[in-house]
Amino acid sequence: MRNAIVVDLDRCIGCFGCEISCKMENNVALGEYWNKVIIEGPHGTFPDVEQYWLPTMCQQCENAPCVHVCPTGASYRNEDGVVLIDKSVCIGCKYCMMACPYGVRNWNEEQRVVEKCTLCQHLTSQGKEPACVHNCPGEARFYGDLDDPNSDVSKFLAETPAEDIHYLKNVGNNPSTAYILSSRFGTWRNGD
Amino acid sequence: MEIAWSLVLFTALTGCGGWLFVGVAIDEFTQKTSKANFISAIVALVLMIVGGLCSVTHLAHPENMLAALNHPTSGIFVEAVLVGIASAFIIVYLIAYGRSATLRRICAVAGAVVGVALSFMAGHSYLMDAVSNWNTMLLPLAYLGTAAASGFGVYALIAGIRHGQTTEADLKIAFILLTVGGIAAALTSLLYLMGVMDAADLMLVAVGAVAVGGVVPLACGVAGLKATNSATLLAAIATVGALVGAVCLRCAMWMAYVPLENFFGIVM
Repeated sequence: MRNAIVVDLDRCIGCFGCEISCKMENNVALGEYWNKVIIEGPHGTFPDVEQYWLPTMCQQCENAPCVHVCPTGASYRNEDGVVLIDKSVCIGCKYCMMACPYGVRNWNEEQRVVEKCTLCQHLTSQGKEPACVHNCPGEARFYGDLDDPNSDVSKFLAETPAEDIHYLKNVGNNPSTAYILSSRFGTWRNGD
Repeated sequence: MEIAWSLVLFTALTGCGGWLFVGVAIDEFTQKTSKANFISAIVALVLMIVGGLCSVTHLAHPENMLAALNHPTSGIFVEAVLVGIASAFIIVYLIAYGRSATLRRICAVAGAVVGVALSFMAGHSYLMDAVSNWNTMLLPLAYLGTAAASGFGVYALIAGIRHGQTTEADLKIAFILLTVGGIAAALTSLLYLMGVMDAADLMLVAVGAVAVGGVVPLACGVAGLKATNSATLLAAIATVGALVGAVCLRCAMWMAYVPLENFFGIVM
C-alpha cells in the first residue's frame, strides 16, 4: 500500500486553499507549514511568460531518508505505508529535517518537536479525504493508494500522458507524490 | 544554516579523546612515555564524557534520549554506542592499570580502534543525499584527520609534562605521532574544503582548519623531534592549534550546508 497525493498543476489556480485548509485542519501555527504553495515563475519575457503553482508537502518517499536517520524511530512508516512522526518519542535533534531533500518538515516551536503532513490520518482513517484534497476548489488534488488500480490517484495517473507526470528531484529517495503539468501550461522546473 | 555548536564540540572532543587513547595504545607496545598513559586515559575518558554531554545539549527533548538506542540505522545510534564502548574500554584499562599488562594492552588496542572509528563515524553521520556538500567520504576523513592531530597533540603535551626534560628518545614517538596527525589534519581538511569553498565564505575557517589545525601541529611535531627542551611548549601550541582547526573544519561543514530544496524556507 502506498497512499499518496497527486496534484494536477494544469488545474491548480494558485488560490492557496490547500495551504490554508491544512493549517485550519491541523492547527498549524502562524509562520509554520505542513503544506506550502510555491510560486514557480514567472519565467520568460513578455508576452512569452509562464508560471505555475507548486503545492509542496511531505512527498511520502519510498526510500524515506527521514525514517532512515531518525535515532528514536519517531519518524516511521505505518502499516498503510504512510511516513508519520510519533511526536512522543521525538528528541528534537532535527536530523530528519537535514535529511529531507525538500525541506518540507516543520519545527513546532511550541512543542519543540518535528512534525509534517500526515495525509490527514485522522480523516483518511475514517474514509474521508485529506483536508487539502477536500477543499481544493479546482479539484486539482487526488488522494489514494498508488498500488490500487481502482484508486482515484491510480486512475488519474493511468489516463495522463507519461510525459506530463513529474516528480520532485530524486536523489534516491523516490518521492511518491506526482505532479501533472502538461507542456501547454508550462515547463516543469522542479526535477527530472 | 547556523553552526550547531553542541555537535561541533561533541565531535571535536570525542574525536580528540579517541585519538589520545590511540597514543596510549601505541605506547603500551613501545613503552617510551609510559608515565603519560594513566593520566592520558583519564583525560580521554573525560573528553568522551564531556563531548557526550555536549551532544545532548542541542536536543529539545533530552528526556527521550534513551530511545535513541532503538534505531540502529541512525548515525546518532552508532555514535552513542561507540562513545559508550570506547568509554568502557578506557575504564577497564584504568582498572587494569598496574595489575594485568595483558588486559591493559587488549583494552588499549580495542579502545583505540573504537575511538578511531568514532572520529570517522561522527563525520559519516552527515553523509546524506539531500546535502551534496556533506555527501562525500572526504568529510568523515577530515573529521578523522583533525581528531588525530588534536588527540596526538594532547598526548604529546601530557607526555612532555609527565616526563619533563627527559631524553630525546622518550618523546620521539609522541612527536612523530603529532607530525603524522598534523599531516593528516592538513591534508584531509584541505581535500574536503576544496570541494565546498564555493558554498559560503569559508576562507577564514578554511585557513583555521588547514593552517592552524594542520600545519601548526605538523611544524610543532617536526620541531619537537629536535628541540626537546621546548617539547612541552611545542606540544601545547600544537594542541591548541589542532583543537582550533578541528572546530574550524566542523564550522565550515555547517556553513557549507545547502539543501537540495528548502520549500518551507526553515532556517535551522
